[in-house]
Amino acid sequence: MNPEGTLNASPATPAAPAKSNGKGKLLIVAGAVAAIAAVGVLFALAFSLVSQQGARPTAGSPAPDFSMALYPGYTGGLPEQIKLSDLRGRPVVMNFWASWCVECYKEADALEAVYRKYKDQGVVFLGVDYLDTEAPALAYLQQYNITYANGVDVQQKIAKAYRITGVPETFFIDKNGVVREVIIAPLSEAQLSASIDRLLNE
Amino acid sequence: MTKGILYHEVTKTRRVAILILSVFVSSWLISAVVQAQAPVPDDQTYRIAKQLNCPTCAGRNLADCPTETCTQWKNEIKAQLDQGKNAEEVLAYFEARFGPTVLQEPPKEGTTAILWAAPVGAAIVFFGVVGVVMWRMSQRRSAQVAVAAATGGANANAHASVAADPFVSELEREVKDES
Repeated sequence: MNPEGTLNASPATPAAPAKSNGKGKLLIVAGAVAAIAAVGVLFALAFSLVSQQGARPTAGSPAPDFSMALYPGYTGGLPEQIKLSDLRGRPVVMNFWASWCVECYKEADALEAVYRKYKDQGVVFLGVDYLDTEAPALAYLQQYNITYANGVDVQQKIAKAYRITGVPETFFIDKNGVVREVIIAPLSEAQLSASIDRLLNE
Repeated sequence: MTKGILYHEVTKTRRVAILILSVFVSSWLISAVVQAQAPVPDDQTYRIAKQLNCPTCAGRNLADCPTETCTQWKNEIKAQLDQGKNAEEVLAYFEARFGPTVLQEPPKEGTTAILWAAPVGAAIVFFGVVGVVMWRMSQRRSAQVAVAAATGGANANAHASVAADPFVSELEREVKDES
């Protein structure tokens, strides 16, 4: 038995597990770094999206400004291209709708009726057509004899600014451009009139 | 008796397994038949719709979505094709009106670019770290080999230098002569 051989062999035996431990640690470190980097990127992305969208306007918060092209024949006496801030001094009833929205049918007649009732008092009705193609949207407007201003929400920019959760949704904006009420449901004539009266009596 | 109970248990398990399997197979067959029978209104319309997302159901393809919104959108595709527009023009219309997120493969710009780049970046970081650590390990190993070689070389050199020493040579010659 060669004692030198034993001496030489002994350090070689623990070297193998040490090597595999090193590789394991390496993979863990690399995986952790990659995961942290990926999570960091996702957080940055989420932050940028949230900061782009802003908070959902509620009662008392300023109504986000926007521009909208109105459907020809559905301007309600307004210019074909409107800007919300240009309507300051007049209460605005802004209604998000779509021709494919069954719930929207329920309030279509009420909206038109109440618009006709209040238009002479300076109340502006704005229909914002959401995720709709033109032909069915125009057919819908024709079907319900809508005469108030209606336009298309191109690329859902207005819907994103107001953070709507679906259609129909109605925002009541006072003459100073402040949101006074938000209703997420089909509205009756009585509900609409009551909300508009509150806007007018401020 | 025990054998009888065991046999009973086995057949019961087998029956349940057969039942589950037959439910899976029959539901797969039914879905295959339904899919085969599903009307494809127009090949070109279907192909374009396949490149768009349903706007109201997250993650669903427009072509396969039966909602009212998607039906309207598919009608719009067909109407535009009937007007003589090509697929690119129809897709451009949808992108312009509803935004790039309506496309199954939105252009790799802005936020979308980050989403595309994030996994690639994570992979680069992962393999970069692995590469650096492996390079360091190999450097350390080669340094150890160099040290070992240098130690072995020094011993050999020591032998060589002893052999080359004139005093030692002289001594060796005298010993040889005496013997």
